[in-house]
Amino acid sequence: MPVNDQQKFETLVENHKKILYKICRLYCRNAEDREDLGQQTVIQLWESFPSFDEGRCTFATWMYRVSLNVAISWYRREVVRLRHIVPAGEHMFHIAGESDGQSDELRLIHQFIGKLDELHKALMLLYLDGYSNREIGEVLGITETNVTTKISRLKKTMRQEFTSTERA
Amino acid sequence: MELEELKQIWQEQDRKLEISLRLNRRILYESYTGHARWALRRLALALGVGALGLLAVIVFLGAFIHNNLHVARMAATAALVDVFAIVALGAVFRQIALALRINYFEPVAGIQKSLEQLRQARIRYVQSVCIMAPLLWFPLFVVWMQAAFRVDVYSTFDVKWIVTNVAFGLAAIPVGYGLLRKLGHRANARLLRDIAGYNLNAASAFLARLDEFEREA
Repeated sequence: MPVNDQQKFETLVENHKKILYKICRLYCRNAEDREDLGQQTVIQLWESFPSFDEGRCTFATWMYRVSLNVAISWYRREVVRLRHIVPAGEHMFHIAGESDGQSDELRLIHQFIGKLDELHKALMLLYLDGYSNREIGEVLGITETNVTTKISRLKKTMRQEFTSTERA
Repeated sequence: MELEELKQIWQEQDRKLEISLRLNRRILYESYTGHARWALRRLALALGVGALGLLAVIVFLGAFIHNNLHVARMAATAALVDVFAIVALGAVFRQIALALRINYFEPVAGIQKSLEQLRQARIRYVQSVCIMAPLLWFPLFVVWMQAAFRVDVYSTFDVKWIVTNVAFGLAAIPVGYGLLRKLGHRANARLLRDIAGYNLNAASAFLARLDEFEREA
């Protein structure tokens, strides 16, 4: 691939690194797995990059599709194939104060999402990121009505869950 | 707490993340230019090699049948193996077609379905090959001995020995399968779980869940 494309790819990924981070954070339990998934996703993004058509969708939407597809497949795989690619001590993501910077509410969100299955996790992530129901449907490949139904069901489940947590 | 409130908290965190998140560009660069191989590409390569191997076997068996048409038992034995090889080749072609259909930039539900169908097809293929192996070794032995050493197993070896081997091959199928079903749940190796059918059940269950996810409205 030409050097220009390589630079364009790196800049686009850099500008949308949050997507990569959030997906890895939601689908993996530990830092090592996050690194593995992060790298697998980047490889797949790079391989699929020639298919990215700016006229069809935004880079963020395209990146969500590819990354969620990789994350869901990765999540479903019992044995992680790619291990120890990253030398010890080096990580793809650096976050200042990552371990202690999480509020209780945020912990609750992660706890709630953690209990969802891999498909609803994706839906929830897109919803929280402010995507419209139509856009969520486009990324996931389901109808807008279906998205609306699922979100209202999730709202109900969440309300019940948080009420029971408060009571406890 | 309501989902809308969570959305606000999430988006607030998102803004903070923007400031604090740094991407290690060296690792990013190494990831996509390095030697890491994507599982799907590896699978496609393995399937391609497998298909070529099977094609070679089919051509060889075709020639063998042609050369041994006058010896009915030899031609029939080779034809039996040939049928298995042709069915196996069909299964491999199906897997290749499924693998080629997968584009990660397409919507999630559709791609996950294709990936799971591919997984299902691959597991069924491995399962069938492993289960049929004890039965297939004997006809393969007959063909091999005739082709390589011009030895007719049917007239050289004792009939009892032949019958025992075929019977053993037949008996090994249900016994082996039953044993795997019993021990498979304890196995960690993917191959064992594939043959025992545990991974196949998991794949089918996920496909059912995907259908439900797509359908419900």
